[in-house]
Amino acid sequence: MHHAEHVMGTVVSIDLADDLPEDTLRGLVGDVCAWLHEVDERFSTYREDSEVCRFRRRELTLEECSPDMRLVLDACADLWRSTDGYFDAYAAGPLDPSGFVKGWSVEVASARLAAAGSTHHCINAGGDIRARGLSSSGKPWRVGIRHPWEADKLSWVLSLADAAVATSGTYERGDHVFNPRTGKPARGLRSVTVVGPDLALADAYATTALAMGTPGIEWLAKLIPDGYESAVVTDDARAFTTPNLPAAV
Amino acid sequence: MRRSTAAAVGTLTGAALIIGVRLSVSTPPVTAAAPPAIDLSGNGQDDTAAPEPSASKKGGSDKAAESSSESSSDKDASADKDSSSGEAGGSGLKNGVFQGTGSKNPYGTIQVSIKITGGKITAADATYPTTADSATINPPAIKKLNEETVKAQSADVDAVSGATFTSESYVKSLQAAIDKATP
Repeated sequence: MHHAEHVMGTVVSIDLADDLPEDTLRGLVGDVCAWLHEVDERFSTYREDSEVCRFRRRELTLEECSPDMRLVLDACADLWRSTDGYFDAYAAGPLDPSGFVKGWSVEVASARLAAAGSTHHCINAGGDIRARGLSSSGKPWRVGIRHPWEADKLSWVLSLADAAVATSGTYERGDHVFNPRTGKPARGLRSVTVVGPDLALADAYATTALAMGTPGIEWLAKLIPDGYESAVVTDDARAFTTPNLPAAV
Repeated sequence: MRRSTAAAVGTLTGAALIIGVRLSVSTPPVTAAAPPAIDLSGNGQDDTAAPEPSASKKGGSDKAAESSSESSSDKDASADKDSSSGEAGGSGLKNGVFQGTGSKNPYGTIQVSIKITGGKITAADATYPTTADSATINPPAIKKLNEETVKAQSADVDAVSGATFTSESYVKSLQAAIDKATP
């Protein structure tokens, strides 16, 4: 079953390849969509009444925040430390945890699907993907990485059985990632893709490397022991990949 | 003189701390029985109550054990107090070579030694790991990303990863085409 849902300012494509009754699959898709809308209502920086905006305006104290909100704030603080300050939910000014929330919400959605009996699925949230099991062809999921200049072309094709893929780039929404050290838009890298076990972290790592610029290429190499492979394209069209990027053959 | 001694011991302890911090990545130093340290004099007497390369001594619990005449309020010189205890009222320190307790960390053992002659510190040194263990501090360069050329290919895929598109730009994306084509 395939479904595309407009939510979180983008489109989330849900692909369930399980051999389950149609009604069951429809129910699972409904659960995922309900969760994503709940996340959007809570964490959107565009909704004045969202919990993030109310926390920004100090209408809520940390103790009054929901458990999910506190989990996200904790995770952002951990990432800020582990990335030497380059992953910064305050990089653009007021609190904006979006760089963590989208990946995290899809990781949670996928875990919930698995717990509910769907072990073969792929969720793509505006370019950030969590794949599990096999596609309906009975083979691992084939995931393309968009070419950073040619929108209808792919620069790599991956084969994934159980992994997350996140890409951050400057080509789609312009200068939306800032280098917290300079306060200026990130420069040097055009596209950063990180593949690994957890989409929340893969997404945050891709954003971090993009914020770092070309030093981000060296930094990504340090993530290999943790199971995170990567593929990078620089502003001057050089491409870099880690040795074990799961490329499709 | 007391102040200069305190300063010297403080500097030495500081240096040991810096080395300790540099070498320890995740595990705090664990004090252990002192292994042989460098011998500054060749025949100096050993005293295990000498400076300990650990911050835990600062304002430590052994303060009460100090000699009553040690009225100095300089808590940073706690190591100094240790080594001079027993010399109550004396203006100097016991002569000899004093070794700190070995401070163990994942990369080896660090041990500080000082030599006292005529009541003054005349030499100070610290052992540092010289075994193969120390290679762990600067592990061989980890794998780097391989450089290649950017390919532009068309292929049949289940999903496309890319920089986040908006609801509006989605319609022009490759993912939208896949969604349309998939039942």
